[in-house]
Amino acid sequence: MPDIGVALSTIVSGVLLGGMLALTALGLSIVLGVMRLVNLAHGDFVVVGAYVGLFFLKFTGVDPLLGLPVIALIVAALAIPLYRFLLAPLAERGPEAQMMTMFAVAIILENAFVLGFSADTRSIERDYATLPLTLGPVTVPLIYVIGFAIAVALILAVHWLISRTRFGRDLRASAADAQAAATLGIDVKRVQMLTFGLGAACAGVGGTLIGAAFQFGPSSGAAYLLNSLAIVVLGGLGNVLGTLFGGVTLGFLQSVGGLTLGDGYRDLVGMALFLLVLAFRPDGFLARRRS
Amino acid sequence: MSQRLKNIVKAGSLLALASIAFGLGAARADEIVIGASLPLSGPLAGFGSFQQWGYKRAVAEVNKAGGISIGGTKQMVILIIRDDKTDPNAAASNTETLISRDHVVAMLGSCTPALVNAGALVAERAKKPLVTGCDPLEAFKSVRKWNYVWDLFFDEPELAAAQFKALAELGAQTNKKIAIWHDNGPDGQVVGGKIWPALAKDFGYEVVQNAEFPVDNTQFTSIIGEAKSKGAEVVLVDAITPQAIAIRKQMAAAGFTPKVLNIEKGAEPVQFAEALGKLSDGILVGGYWDSSLPYPGAADLSKAFESETKLTSSQHIADSYAAAQILLDAIASAGSTDPEKINAAIAKTDKTYAVGPVKFDENHTAKLPIVSLQWQGGKTVIIWPKAAKTGEFLFPLP
Amino acid sequence: MKTSSGLAEVGVLLAAFVLLWFAPSFAGDYGLQIAFRVLIYLTLAESWNLLAGSTGLVSLGTSCFVGLGAYVAFGLMNAFDVPLPLGLACCAVAGGALAALVSPALFRLRGLYFTVGTLALAELLRLIMVNVSAFGGASGIFLQKDPPPLPVLFHYALVVALIASLAITACARSRISVILRAVRDDEDAAAQMGVRPYRTKLGAFILSSALVAIAGGVQATKLGAIEPYGMFGLQWSIDVLSMVIIGGVGLRLGPLVGALFVVALGEALADYPEAHVAIAGVILIVLIRFAPRGVVGFVENLAPFTQKKRVAA
Repeated sequence: MPDIGVALSTIVSGVLLGGMLALTALGLSIVLGVMRLVNLAHGDFVVVGAYVGLFFLKFTGVDPLLGLPVIALIVAALAIPLYRFLLAPLAERGPEAQMMTMFAVAIILENAFVLGFSADTRSIERDYATLPLTLGPVTVPLIYVIGFAIAVALILAVHWLISRTRFGRDLRASAADAQAAATLGIDVKRVQMLTFGLGAACAGVGGTLIGAAFQFGPSSGAAYLLNSLAIVVLGGLGNVLGTLFGGVTLGFLQSVGGLTLGDGYRDLVGMALFLLVLAFRPDGFLARRRS
Repeated sequence: MSQRLKNIVKAGSLLALASIAFGLGAARADEIVIGASLPLSGPLAGFGSFQQWGYKRAVAEVNKAGGISIGGTKQMVILIIRDDKTDPNAAASNTETLISRDHVVAMLGSCTPALVNAGALVAERAKKPLVTGCDPLEAFKSVRKWNYVWDLFFDEPELAAAQFKALAELGAQTNKKIAIWHDNGPDGQVVGGKIWPALAKDFGYEVVQNAEFPVDNTQFTSIIGEAKSKGAEVVLVDAITPQAIAIRKQMAAAGFTPKVLNIEKGAEPVQFAEALGKLSDGILVGGYWDSSLPYPGAADLSKAFESETKLTSSQHIADSYAAAQILLDAIASAGSTDPEKINAAIAKTDKTYAVGPVKFDENHTAKLPIVSLQWQGGKTVIIWPKAAKTGEFLFPLP
Repeated sequence: MKTSSGLAEVGVLLAAFVLLWFAPSFAGDYGLQIAFRVLIYLTLAESWNLLAGSTGLVSLGTSCFVGLGAYVAFGLMNAFDVPLPLGLACCAVAGGALAALVSPALFRLRGLYFTVGTLALAELLRLIMVNVSAFGGASGIFLQKDPPPLPVLFHYALVVALIASLAITACARSRISVILRAVRDDEDAAAQMGVRPYRTKLGAFILSSALVAIAGGVQATKLGAIEPYGMFGLQWSIDVLSMVIIGGVGLRLGPLVGALFVVALGEALADYPEAHVAIAGVILIVLIRFAPRGVVGFVENLAPFTQKKRVAA
């Protein structure tokens, strides 16, 4: 049994990290909810965000955390043409066509990363990314606290956007029933395009945070895709605040798994949990039972 | 009618396309064809690009000198490289294609045990010689008794012992408490699971922690926390580069600074230091090659790489370059493209290449000697053994 | 009409089988290698179609059963020196058993959730293999005895592909097809008609998984060494989906054409290492976009005489 300080530090770090990764998952979740699309390139959008953050720091010298709005816009601007020219024409063709198109985009992106930036593993080098924060017996990485705070703020902002604005109303209508929304005069394609851009922006911001906290390379995307999927399912598809709950829960349980079974079992615990929730509460942990 | 004709033409062109797809690369009789499947995309693309450069350079040099004399006539060497996408299934099928379609006379290997094995097993069954680096020798030997496959690389026990010997000779004062963290890949299990614990005992250390993790793990919080709480002053890690970077950052973020930090495997490439900046200072790593070593062509090799590719060099250019040279030398000394004769000639290899002296033993392995390197200001210096030393030992870890 | 065209299809399949059986004596080594790969892929694609065609469920879990078959085959052959045919039969049992085991959970999921669930299942199995050292951990396991020569393995692959193709024919051309279509299109209505949707779906899932597991066992035997990343890799699931889409969703010849295309493309592009992954991606995007019914559908549209025939039928 590890000592109490180690256990507490691990669990608090896990919860903070889970919240941070919830931001990445949020992007996947809203695209799933509105477009019924498992975006297989989502993990690569995260990597795009990390590279954008890296080069942003390199060329402007401005801290990437201050540049997050710009980074979000850049990633969204890269993603929107993908929707416009690749996904929109396939709207009537069922989920496989769009899913495979995004897979193709994923492998093209990975190849482009290798050709453009080499296969090197990289990291956004910042002092605050490697400082500990100690509070009594608990020591957690400072960057996790920063990342958690940013993620929570952004998730709340997206929640506000979706529940309080006109765009949000259109988005909810499109998610519930695209055809019905269209007959009400909602421009579903535009809503989907903006949703896709918003999803990519979330991934991009999450990517910059991940790039600072950890490391990334051309093929890092797949791991973040699966992790995001697990969070989405835990929190409930398209449920914005649920995503945060899902991230925190996953982070907590993964840490417990890591503590008791060893760090290697973290992902295993995550996946097992993912499947269990999927099997017994397919609409997410928070959802009320279907009547 | 004309519509139907068009359709027939279209169907025909589809067929033609397919036949081009399957029929490419037919060899001419006056060329020596060798092949290699390399990870040029996917997680190991970094290794593949170094190897590709080393293989191509060796072949280009031979061709520039007029080729290899086979039965009295000089023949050019053609090197066919295929990408295995870091997938063993693709490494195997690429090797099959090289043998059955391109009729290669011999091959060069991929990188890491999983990929090398996949291709090597195909070559072994087809009785075509294959020379490879980038596959640690114990992992290589554990697969089977090889007849046609040859491996020059470091030997895990030697690599594992190097840092213990270096620490003892350099007189590093610690509390002798060791934490061992290793991945569960083939060499991680050997080095971290078996050899290090045994050596620690021999050298009078106490192993306070031995943690294993899978090769795609990203979170090391509880592992690091445990080592910190147990007061380990020496930390030995065996992990690939992305994990090595993650571990170093998470150690700093957890406020854990041991006196000695040795990260095998992952801390070797320059990208490790580039990603970490000053956090890389003081980290030890075993290396089998450095351009400062007194071998023929060693210094030129990394200079040529850096000026050609504008990238920083890696020790992987040396073993790949040497592997290709060994194969080409063997073809030349066999004076034949008969795989059996080439194989027999490889067995007789006994020469000092840019990577060091190479002589294969009965297990088809050639050990590359190990030096202990330390990162200092973004560059590695050799701190052990004394004979090869290029810098002073930085102790303790800053 | 239906039965006679079904019988004709069985006839064509058997004729092709007999012809291909003798391929080792006329097809050179390279041809045989390629044919082996096409047959394995064909088996995977037909099995995928079996599930999708009869249940409407899109699976991303092919790799899960490929890997399972590989590990079961190696485990039995290494530990008990089981002969290959028996080993492959055990693969089928294991594949079917796993499918039955997870079906109560997976079949609660409709649509996208099922896709995500299969993906997670494959990842879970891979993580177990990576972590549990009894299964070789990340190093994987080696086949201790030498695998049989290529022509023998080719025959195994051929038999598996034949079984998969016959299964599809049986499902598409016999009375079963009516039941399957009813279940796929409207489960609740089918239930009212007296069809048991759950059993039908379960049957399709078990059969499809068993076939994939055998294919995995054959592929692993050919490799001689397996490890979790290659055998449980997402690549398998994605390749299958590519084949089905490239060939043409719901078309009888789709899987075959898709398998030929994917193998040919992989072969051709591996010679141009620099950007071949990206090229494959672009080709996939273009095909999905401009050939909605895949290559088969594309060729059919081009050929007016075949269309006439379809109208007449």
